[in-house]
Amino acid sequence: MENYTKYALKPEQELAQVLSGVDNIFVIACNKCFKEFNTTQEPDCEAFLQIAQQLGKTVTGSAKADFLCNKTKAEGKFNTMIPEGTENIVAISCGLGVQTIADVANLPVYAAANSLNYTGHHGMALTKKACDACAQCYLGITGGICPVVDCSKSLLNGQCGGAKNGKCEVSPDKDCAWEKIQQRLEKQGRVDQLLQQSVQVRDYSKVNFKVINDYVKSIREKRLDGWYGGVHPVEGKEPTEHKALVRFPAPENVVIPLSMHLGAPATAIVNVGDYVKMGQKIGEASGFISAPVHSSVSGKVVAIQDLPHATRGTCTSIVIENDGKDLLDESIQPNKPLEELTPAEIIEIVKEAGIVGMGGAGFPTYVKLNPGKPIDAVLVNACECEPMLTADHRVLLEYADDIIFGLQAEMKTVDAPKGIIVIEENKPDAIALLREKTADIEGIEVLEVTTQYPQGGEKMLIKRALGRSVPSGKLPADVGACVSNVSTVKAIADAIKTGMPLIERVTTVTGKYIPNPQNFIVRVGTSAAELVEACGGISAEDVLIKAGGPMMGFPQTTLYTPIMKGSNGIIAIDCDNTEPNECIKCGRCVDVCPMELKPLHYYKLACAQDWQGCKDMNIMDCMECRCCEYICSSKLPLVNMIKMGKNGVRGLK
Amino acid sequence: MLITELKNTDGIKSLLQGKTFILVCHGCKEIRFPEHEADALIQELVETGNVTGTLTTDYICNVENLKLRLQKHAAAIEAAEYILVLSCGVGVQTVADLYETKKVIPGCDTYALPGFQGVTPLEYDCKQCGECYLNLTGGICPITACSKSLVNGQCGGAKNGKCEVDPNMECGWERIQKRLAQIGRLDVLRSPVQVRNYATDEEVSK
Repeated sequence: MENYTKYALKPEQELAQVLSGVDNIFVIACNKCFKEFNTTQEPDCEAFLQIAQQLGKTVTGSAKADFLCNKTKAEGKFNTMIPEGTENIVAISCGLGVQTIADVANLPVYAAANSLNYTGHHGMALTKKACDACAQCYLGITGGICPVVDCSKSLLNGQCGGAKNGKCEVSPDKDCAWEKIQQRLEKQGRVDQLLQQSVQVRDYSKVNFKVINDYVKSIREKRLDGWYGGVHPVEGKEPTEHKALVRFPAPENVVIPLSMHLGAPATAIVNVGDYVKMGQKIGEASGFISAPVHSSVSGKVVAIQDLPHATRGTCTSIVIENDGKDLLDESIQPNKPLEELTPAEIIEIVKEAGIVGMGGAGFPTYVKLNPGKPIDAVLVNACECEPMLTADHRVLLEYADDIIFGLQAEMKTVDAPKGIIVIEENKPDAIALLREKTADIEGIEVLEVTTQYPQGGEKMLIKRALGRSVPSGKLPADVGACVSNVSTVKAIADAIKTGMPLIERVTTVTGKYIPNPQNFIVRVGTSAAELVEACGGISAEDVLIKAGGPMMGFPQTTLYTPIMKGSNGIIAIDCDNTEPNECIKCGRCVDVCPMELKPLHYYKLACAQDWQGCKDMNIMDCMECRCCEYICSSKLPLVNMIKMGKNGVRGLK
Repeated sequence: MLITELKNTDGIKSLLQGKTFILVCHGCKEIRFPEHEADALIQELVETGNVTGTLTTDYICNVENLKLRLQKHAAAIEAAEYILVLSCGVGVQTVADLYETKKVIPGCDTYALPGFQGVTPLEYDCKQCGECYLNLTGGICPITACSKSLVNGQCGGAKNGKCEVDPNMECGWERIQKRLAQIGRLDVLRSPVQVRNYATDEEVSK
């Protein structure tokens, strides 16, 4: 790739003038963007420091930054890095970076570089100017060759007549664009069409900087509502959002993995040949961060062996042959009314019911309810920001009372005065219903938030709902918050009201290649293949199947994996056949990372196996939301590289 | 970075006189892509029965990946006379280059975005003039913040701080003056007259 830069240092003589009478300077240099990402060591900062030294200037400090024009980040960090005694700031950047710094700094800012006028910069056309953004695309009548860009005179109504041997009279190395247009149209048999066109008049007033600027401001405001970054993928919820829950019949066999949660797998407490009842505990928690598992049917244990698992490859699982009787285990008895239960009793109920975070991560819920720190707000995560999935949406609509009950139980357990149900604005029916139901309940409110992925990320949710930042390496409890997924809250209500452990959940089966998408209430341990079959199977070959949604779901090689406590969906979508290109430092990953990290560096560092470097750049803060990979213009497998980097960092200890 | 707006849909429809393949680019959608309007148009076109296939993808300007992604749709494209491309002008040209014999129709108009040179869409703009004036103006660009791109002070036409060209716009030079007063550098206004060298653009970039 052509090396191609953003700015050049001003000549020494000019810098001497700029700096006359200016001393005690802090130097901030931008690492440049849209370039082959082979170094962060741009030479301009050092070159300037040398000139400053020759001029006898006192430099209080210097820093290099990626994407200096990122105002949100510059605002947060820049002023804190200025050492005492600094009187002036010198910015080495393109005009955007300088203007940004001038806006956020409290000191005079000087530009030490000139922005270069380079061609290209639209899309991936980095070194070629391909679009002038004239706001009135002519390509439809010119065979896809742009008369504005490719003709030296930007003529819209045919050639000027000055071309010689197909070359432009303005620059003889350039082909005459209108000759090219004519040839292209001839191939398509459309020359007449062009000749019969009425005269085109270019409306220069269309490109109004102000209008676009205001528009950009408004979308930025929306995008940065509550937290930084995020993306808005196609929602794709229409096929199932209005489909009522359907109870999926209990299957002939259930496969219950001993690990459906974060932490140590459960230990099997039944043997092959044992008869188990529905709701009976069949695996015991084996550690502080662990959870028990229960049988979702009654019948005979026919095997305990390693079987395919949707997120872990394989996992020891208990296979139970369903006798179809659904005989309830004797332990399943309703508990005392909520008012009479103590927090400790509620924690025990939740723990024994095997309830874990049902949004996907599977963190044991009882641990969250026992934080050992004061909690003032319980958040119910009903965002369902993941595209295509509608499981939580349906739970909200069909189990609103249980959700409120579960939330009240959680609030009582952690002694929080406030409960907030956070719902994205794309679920207006759920917002209205929950608002109506909670109107008379003190302490509980429903918060409507923008539809933005990953709004449901724990740290994003807390920032949006409470305006609190969870520091790196800390948990929600450290800022006085407790966050639970909406299905989890419903499971808590079930466990208290009926004594039923977590043996069923709601799962969405959807996607372009699922003929009849559905929302099912399904027993844990049911094979994904059966659900897909019930939806009409998969209608094409070469399809990407994911357990979960398109963003955070796990790609599956087989459908013969069981539905688990955290299985919120199965989707069948298009495979994306792409090859990774080199990173072009477009910076979009930095623009969208909600944890405010720099994913492009992790890619580079992980390739070089520089684990210390990964650690220094806070790779462990990454929650693998995949925004960076989604937006990556070079289609780099960023999340895989980040996982590799995290493993490397873990190995450092 | 660019933003796109859907062209007049009747105009698009009148251009598509036969079998059509539709290619939608969501690459810079984060910036602006008329998603719902485009969906409605596609729906309408599909109902005419003339659509041989559709593909929604991203970064169609990345020609290598575009080719890989279009492999599956080769037959549908082959069967089409027209390819309707909903993307910025770069994407349309990429497709037009790839399928020289197909009639490639752009469905969108493309607008430039402030901050295009950097990473994020910004409220600032940079005209890449090649002789940065920002150190004389307190970091407010006279080329882009002044309607007339004056480099030696205000034109005198501003009323109540608003530009005479665009009454919704603040006078760039008043802003510069205020900023300089704020940072105690009004003295830089006494610097010699600036002459903009329009030739530098070309020279510097070579």
